Amino acid sequence: MKSFVLACVVAIAIAAVAGFALNTVQKPADQAYSTTGVRL
Amino acid sequence: MARFVAQARFIIGALALALIIAIAAPASAQQPSAVNPTAASVKEQQLLNALGTGDAIHGRVTIPDQKSANLIHPAGRDWRQFHEVTLRWIAAIAILGMLVILVVFYLVRGQVKLESGYSGRRIVRFNAFERAVHWMTATCFIILGLTGLNITFGKPLLLPLIGEPAFAGWAQWAKYAHNYLSFPFAIGVFCIFLIWIVGNIPNRVDLEWTKRGGGIVGHDHPPAYRFNAGQKMIYWVVVIGGTLVAASGYLLMFPFYVTDIQGMQLAQTVHAIIAVLFVAVMLAHIYIGTIGMEGAFEAMGEGTVDENWAREHHPLWLEQEMARTGPNESQRQPMATPAE
Repeated sequence: MKSFVLACVVAIAIAAVAGFALNTVQKPADQAYSTTGVRL
Repeated sequence: MARFVAQARFIIGALALALIIAIAAPASAQQPSAVNPTAASVKEQQLLNALGTGDAIHGRVTIPDQKSANLIHPAGRDWRQFHEVTLRWIAAIAILGMLVILVVFYLVRGQVKLESGYSGRRIVRFNAFERAVHWMTATCFIILGLTGLNITFGKPLLLPLIGEPAFAGWAQWAKYAHNYLSFPFAIGVFCIFLIWIVGNIPNRVDLEWTKRGGGIVGHDHPPAYRFNAGQKMIYWVVVIGGTLVAASGYLLMFPFYVTDIQGMQLAQTVHAIIAVLFVAVMLAHIYIGTIGMEGAFEAMGEGTVDENWAREHHPLWLEQEMARTGPNESQRQPMATPAE
């Protein structure tokens, strides 16, 4: 049971770091695919 | 003279007309690229006719994403047919088919019993790190599987049941979970590859084990080292399938960073097919690791197995462990292990 709980905690921790990293690397489509001349 | 001039004028006119037709003919053969979809006078029928060769029709845009200039791409309809129809059939047959096979197998064969009974002596099968890696990968896989199946079957099956608002919220969070948990899953697959590669190289014992039905079909107890041929198959499915599904998934997660639209469609096709087959194989793995075999779950649940279980299912591994640690070594533990 300890191993299972530890596994879940580690998985969530890695997922949280990955989510943070992804959100800093990737931009929403309205930002990525528009110019400064586009008004949304 | 006037008649001759008239005839000459007629012949020259005919030749000029023939020349114009000859020049125009190849141009009309290139019809798909000749259609300008942004032209004010373009007719819908012209566009539809242009699709005959399977080429895409492009327009012109001023935003940075030039892919948005693609007006019609016939290959996209094939891809839509795949993920809206074909994939659902493949997934349904693979997953439901495996469930039916397992239920029938259980009803016919029943649980693989520990025939010599529990000895009361325990032997360590998997240490804490191995179990943690297994459970991290397994937990992520289950969530990835459910959230992935939501992409394939959510719209036709779940949406009518829970309604659009609830489905929209669930699907959004399911997608977040699918993306983010892919990272611990991929790390888990890599760790599994490293920590169990030594015991999962196929050898001659696997042939013998397979010929004798692995002790699952019938009541035989063929020899096996730490991992038998069935477990090795699961290992390689996880390592190869996990690698492919992760690689294709990251291509989808970073759209158009590496490949074009054809590559994206191929990545989605590979990702989906491998994933549903992966789910089907893991159902069999879960079955044999739980209700399918007496004493099997303890190996990954507690980390230890009964000595008689090891003797029946992995006798060569037990011999190795006995030779390595001795009969009274600390590797062997009493029956009453503290609950974890």
